Amino acid sequence: MSKLGLRGVLLALGVLAMAVAAACGGGSSSSGGGGKSGGSIKIGSVLPDEYDPVMFQTVQANEPLQLVYKGLVTYKDAEGTEGNKLIPGLATEVPKPTNGGKTYTFTLRKGLKYSDGEPVKASDYENTIKRLLFLGGPFSSFATSIKGATEYQDAKKQDGDISGITADDAKGTITVNLTAPDSQYLYAAGLANQAPTPAKKSPFKKSNSIPGIGPYTISIQNPSRQYTLTKTSGFNIPGISKGKVDKMTVVKESVPKMTQDVIDGKLDFMTEDPTDQLAEVKSKYKDRFREDPNPPNTYWFFMNHTTPPFDKAEVRQAVNYALDSKALQRVFNGRLQPTCNFLPALYAGMGYKKIDPCPWGDPNGKPDIAKAKQLVEKSGDKGMKVTVWANNKDPRPAIADYYRDMLNQIGFKASTKIIDQQVYFGTVGTKKTKAQTGFTDWFQDFPHPNDFFEPNLSSAALSSSPVFNFEYAPTPPDIDATLKKLKPQKPQDASDQWAALDKKLIDNGDIAVYGSELSTSFFSERMDFQNCSGVHPVYKNDFALFCLK
Amino acid sequence: MATEPATEFALEGPAAFEEEAKRAKVAGLGPWRLAMRRLRRNKSALAFGALFLVIVAMCLAAPLWANHVAHTDAIKNHLTDTVKVGGKTKDVVSPDGKPIGPTWHGRFFLGADTNGRDIAVRLLYGGRTSLTIGIGAALITALLSVIFGVMAGYFRGVTDAVISRSLDLIWSFPVILLGVALGTALALGGLKIGPIEIEGDSKLIPTLIIAIVYIPYMARPIRGQVLALREKEFVEAARAQGAGPLRIMFTEILPNLSSTIVVFVPLMMANAILLEAALSFLGAGVRPPNPSWGTMIGDGVEKIITAPHLAIVPGVMLVLTVLALNVFGDGVRDALDPRAKLHLEH
Repeated sequence: MSKLGLRGVLLALGVLAMAVAAACGGGSSSSGGGGKSGGSIKIGSVLPDEYDPVMFQTVQANEPLQLVYKGLVTYKDAEGTEGNKLIPGLATEVPKPTNGGKTYTFTLRKGLKYSDGEPVKASDYENTIKRLLFLGGPFSSFATSIKGATEYQDAKKQDGDISGITADDAKGTITVNLTAPDSQYLYAAGLANQAPTPAKKSPFKKSNSIPGIGPYTISIQNPSRQYTLTKTSGFNIPGISKGKVDKMTVVKESVPKMTQDVIDGKLDFMTEDPTDQLAEVKSKYKDRFREDPNPPNTYWFFMNHTTPPFDKAEVRQAVNYALDSKALQRVFNGRLQPTCNFLPALYAGMGYKKIDPCPWGDPNGKPDIAKAKQLVEKSGDKGMKVTVWANNKDPRPAIADYYRDMLNQIGFKASTKIIDQQVYFGTVGTKKTKAQTGFTDWFQDFPHPNDFFEPNLSSAALSSSPVFNFEYAPTPPDIDATLKKLKPQKPQDASDQWAALDKKLIDNGDIAVYGSELSTSFFSERMDFQNCSGVHPVYKNDFALFCLK
Repeated sequence: MATEPATEFALEGPAAFEEEAKRAKVAGLGPWRLAMRRLRRNKSALAFGALFLVIVAMCLAAPLWANHVAHTDAIKNHLTDTVKVGGKTKDVVSPDGKPIGPTWHGRFFLGADTNGRDIAVRLLYGGRTSLTIGIGAALITALLSVIFGVMAGYFRGVTDAVISRSLDLIWSFPVILLGVALGTALALGGLKIGPIEIEGDSKLIPTLIIAIVYIPYMARPIRGQVLALREKEFVEAARAQGAGPLRIMFTEILPNLSSTIVVFVPLMMANAILLEAALSFLGAGVRPPNPSWGTMIGDGVEKIITAPHLAIVPGVMLVLTVLALNVFGDGVRDALDPRAKLHLEH
């Protein structure tokens, strides 16, 4: 008892010392730049798909949950490429890999407590990974590089062991062994779905009331109507923003209504793009509206290499020749940046190198419909029926209709199949559907080129059910070997090789890339737009950076 | 919005006509001629009937407008095209995605949608789709309702119990919910019953769905009427003369149901057109890119602030058509039997 008491006093002193240090030195940097603190704001959103940190998938969920569930490492609360930097989260430092890149050792900061007052334990991390794998969260594949993770997942026993994770609660150390060197492991560990949560209060079923540790706590009034983020009193981890606004109420609204409410000052921010009123917002409210290429993303049409007519290279090439990014730009209300690279331009220095000239013509130029027609003729599949798949989220149906029209122009009999966005990827990813071609996109989960290639084009993306590789074939064919070679290396060290993989993919014409989308941020007049708009490359908007005038 | 016809009725067939004819001192006129005479006096019903015919004629002329005036079809994209308006060249869709408004000229007479498709052309072709589905569904509903209603009412007993409970089952679901559920399920895999296979994007799918969900609304009143008719003296007489059930149903029962059916059909058409629009608006009816007034309104809602004409134009056409059918249907009802209580509840 006396030992515990002494330890408690020492811990309290340690926490106090850290708080003083933060208050003296780290104040401005940890809160992410200038701007006033305090006050309450109201945000319009379509709300998270899930509130459970291991189950969410959408940007609208990641934005609040990253404030509630901080991981062992996390991303810097900063705009632009600075936001891609990994910084220590609950761990004292970002670990350097040992054992040939296969082992990472984290040491927990002392005295950390969850929002319910429970102390953070090293073993909680293994419990989080188990939940992630057991419940099959959308990001569970990022944890499968941990030794024993796949076996745990296959065994389907929640109390099983993941041999690659060992924790020492007394010392606060966590050792993670990977099956093979994987430079993306740490980036994935920085996401909210790998954040430790208290084992006792994290059931192996979906839950909306799991405590976390972060600058804000979440209170869900109605999962489909409203939730509130309240600043966590006493939260103080050096380097992580403590947040500026005291309370954020997030409510569900339709996009036209939330746009009007931001204009009228009834809402202070909207998580969606003001699609319909974009031109008006851009011209009338430019002092509180911005467009940004972050988070990095790519839009393309998938073509099923195992189903006619896209099993023929000529047909895939024809689609690439016929693509008219200028037309698609109009469908995107001008927010599409035409490109033929698969990796977004923001990956400059870690894989992006502009493919110039593009093998299928200038993305900003006119399409070569004549050449495309010739290729379709040559393929022998002219006149074949093609179904273009897309989901019903604006402007996906319009994108699909553009594509249908283009396929008809080059010689097919195309029609569209529009289904609900909630079931879309699951449906086209089911082999039985035999989806020929359709809409797909990818927004980075974390800043690593492998995050674009592996989940979309590799053999690994074919092993899940439903699959996420809608080409239904490793694309390009040798992608697995290339990824195996590149994954252990830091993306910055292998930038040229990633760029070469990008070029190979595009030169083959195996997918039809047409551009990247600019995201939008629109604020009320109350908000300090100049200092606190908080566009973040991983979170889209980092609410911790928001502040009032 | 209640779109179901009320089930209250008091039609009594030719007997009612005869009585009315006597009362009106126009003995010698048959019931149908008498009805026509009454209908001709109802100017508003005739005006709306004429309006409906005009709308049908316009929709039938869609290919003429598309090929000779607008020079495009209903699904062709014109995203990067330009059009001359008042001597000035304008983008059909501006680089920031705003579609052109009404030009009041041949091309893009009512403007374009987000994909640069001609609204006027889509409106006419959409009208063909909506009317085809509406009329088709109403006729199928009428046919099946008569079959089930007559069988249930005439045979009673087990036949009645099976048919009535099946109709109750359909009736227990709200029309829209049942339509959306069936539409969504069938859109993916289509419909396959034995050798009959209908693709998911076929217009037959929404037609059949609408027809099926409305059967109880027409079959039950018919059953009630048959229950009363089968006890009438003329049916007893036919039975006494040795007529079998099928003969009695065709020669004695059906003729007495004709006015009910005639009254129901235009009202059913209006309901079917409305339901088709609702299902298509919700993405469970006509599949894109095929136009229907419902899909056009659905597409237009996304641009309601910057391009309200996209939703308003098909909305107005839908209102006019349904209004025309309802007023004309009421006129037909009044003409066939002024005492009939068959009506639409709103």
